[in-house]
Amino acid sequence: MGEHKLNFDAVTVGDEAPVISHKLGRTDLVKYAGASGDFNPMHHDEVAAQAAGLPSVFGHGMFSMGILGSALTDYVGVGNISRYQVRFTRQTWPDEVLSSKIVVTGKREEDGKKLVDLAVTLTNGDGEDKLVGEATAVIG
Amino acid sequence: MADGAESHEEVLKGIIGQPTGKAKVVIERGTVQHFADAVLSMNPIYHNLDAAKAAGFENIPAPPTWPFAMEFAAKYEELQPADAPTGNPLMAAVGPLIAKGGLILHGEQEFIYHRPIVVGDVLISDGKITDAYQKESKGKTMTFICSSTAWSDEKTGEPVVTATFTLIHRS
Repeated sequence: MGEHKLNFDAVTVGDEAPVISHKLGRTDLVKYAGASGDFNPMHHDEVAAQAAGLPSVFGHGMFSMGILGSALTDYVGVGNISRYQVRFTRQTWPDEVLSSKIVVTGKREEDGKKLVDLAVTLTNGDGEDKLVGEATAVIG
Repeated sequence: MADGAESHEEVLKGIIGQPTGKAKVVIERGTVQHFADAVLSMNPIYHNLDAAKAAGFENIPAPPTWPFAMEFAAKYEELQPADAPTGNPLMAAVGPLIAKGGLILHGEQEFIYHRPIVVGDVLISDGKITDAYQKESKGKTMTFICSSTAWSDEKTGEPVVTATFTLIHRS
């Protein structure tokens, strides 16, 4: 069960997935709050965020992990990920352009399964990382 | 102050191993599709049943980070297990910290997938606190609390996904 995207034999360490970029808007955060049920006001209520000493609302970490996950499944195929892990390194802010970077770091066979390991990051326009993590996909 | 810090250390040690809850979630097309839109996935597999079936799925699958949201977005009150523990030790430990101010941050998140989640699944969770500790960093007190939630298929009992969550309180 899973979308067929990558051919294990053709995958090479160092291969990179197409970059997905998105300028973060406040509407994205409202939409994500509604879809995920995470209504922490720091993510949608500018007045409350500024009262708490923040310059503005900031993005849900899970929104960042979610859009990076979308870039990941576009590359390895939906249903093929066996592990996806991230560390949230910096907050995201409205109007930042967030870009995915997904690089193949390894290929291996384990219990008859063909696995591809990937390094995943999400960065802003200044090259600061927001998320740094790893994923493994089962290919065939 | 030292006494206060010490007692909080004990609170943290005391919650390790405690259950964070049992929940039942129902995976439905509307909520899953709404979530796929919210994480900006235009892949037709999330939006069109024919496309999902053509890719080998029995029904529309959920995006990879849905297991974090489903605990909040896919629960029905009358379906919750009667033996679900009341209260969440994570909130018991974090509540007093939040009351004193500071910022709650999501530090790390990991998912281990045994199979994709698809519409029609009914899943049961079993969660526990796996670690809790404090450390000083750049003049701030950082409190780390880690929990692990194992989701399994209600019908078969087979594992589906395990989610590991690290919360940080910084003050």
